[in-house]
Amino acid sequence: MRKVTNRCCGSIEISEPDIIEAMKDIQGYIDISPGDFKEVFQVAYTHAIQRIQNSLIATDIMTRSVHCVEHTMNLMQTATFLADKGISGAPVVDTEGHIVGVVSEKDFLGKMGLGKSASFMQVIAHCLNNKGCMVTVLHNHFIQDIMTAPAITAGPAISIGAISELFIDKQINRLPIVDIEGKVVGIVTRTDLVQSYSVPR
Amino acid sequence: MIFFKKMRGNGQSPPRVSLVEICWSWIGSFIGITAVALIHYKLLDQNGLLLLIGSFGASAVLIYGAIRSPLAQPRNLLGGHILSAFIGVTTFQWLGEYPWLAAAVAVSTSIALMHLTRTLHPPGGATALIAVIGGESVHKLGYLYVLMPTALGACVMLAVALIINNIPKNRRYPEFWL
Repeated sequence: MRKVTNRCCGSIEISEPDIIEAMKDIQGYIDISPGDFKEVFQVAYTHAIQRIQNSLIATDIMTRSVHCVEHTMNLMQTATFLADKGISGAPVVDTEGHIVGVVSEKDFLGKMGLGKSASFMQVIAHCLNNKGCMVTVLHNHFIQDIMTAPAITAGPAISIGAISELFIDKQINRLPIVDIEGKVVGIVTRTDLVQSYSVPR
Repeated sequence: MIFFKKMRGNGQSPPRVSLVEICWSWIGSFIGITAVALIHYKLLDQNGLLLLIGSFGASAVLIYGAIRSPLAQPRNLLGGHILSAFIGVTTFQWLGEYPWLAAAVAVSTSIALMHLTRTLHPPGGATALIAVIGGESVHKLGYLYVLMPTALGACVMLAVALIINNIPKNRRYPEFWL
């Protein structure tokens, strides 16, 4: 947790002159040295960040109506499904609804030979330059061939601080939330996470 | 080397307070000590009792001059003086034959007790010390020393602090009671 704190929010530095100015603004003798106040402030700030990061958990911010794809679908069905729903990735589940992986744009791009960090513009550039489309390689393949497995998942009680850390460390954009049996009960996307910080609590 | 480096200090002093603030500190302490001194000289002294003990001068610095300080709050003012007075009298009665030892034990024990009870108030150390070194007039009070001068004087000082420190718009006292 502290690692994340330092990475994203540890940079607010108040200086001793700031504190001395504040002490002049607040009248009366304040019985603490500016250096000690700074120390108290910095430790309190870290605690505040931790409190905020732990105050919300996945169930508070996750999207509950999850669009899952079945592991037997082929890539045409999958792409059509994702396009219809307007999403860029989804958990992959078996016939009983247990999560077996995650499929996303990155996996498609990887299969097309562009590397997982490729962009849509690279697809266009590649297709125009080659007078043909690399998308055809996706025919006759199934989700199982391209999905990322095993899926990175978490339980409903994971804090938003821990989710942020997973997003950064694992370089993922969505985190399926599963129950003890491995069934998908929700999903936290980057959008959900961003909204959780902006909605007044 | 770190040991000596620490002695240099690397902090700064808090800024000087405004002249208005200084005026109110002067007024508060003037009235507070006036009240205690008047009671002492006009009422008690004639009967051989005393109210004026040096440690109230130190308390005045805190409760009229540094009113936001945790050390200056009523819990500390009353608790610190009363507990220390009790420790001082007890110590003298046990160790009075060795005044140097009684003096040291009284002060150090009262500091420990004030810490334990969250009533740390620096003048309490003086109150405990005076119980030992105060001479015949203090010694013959016995545990009355706890009530009077100590508790009575502290209450008078507190009453003045409550009135004077709350007159200016941007002063308030206390921060907390308990």
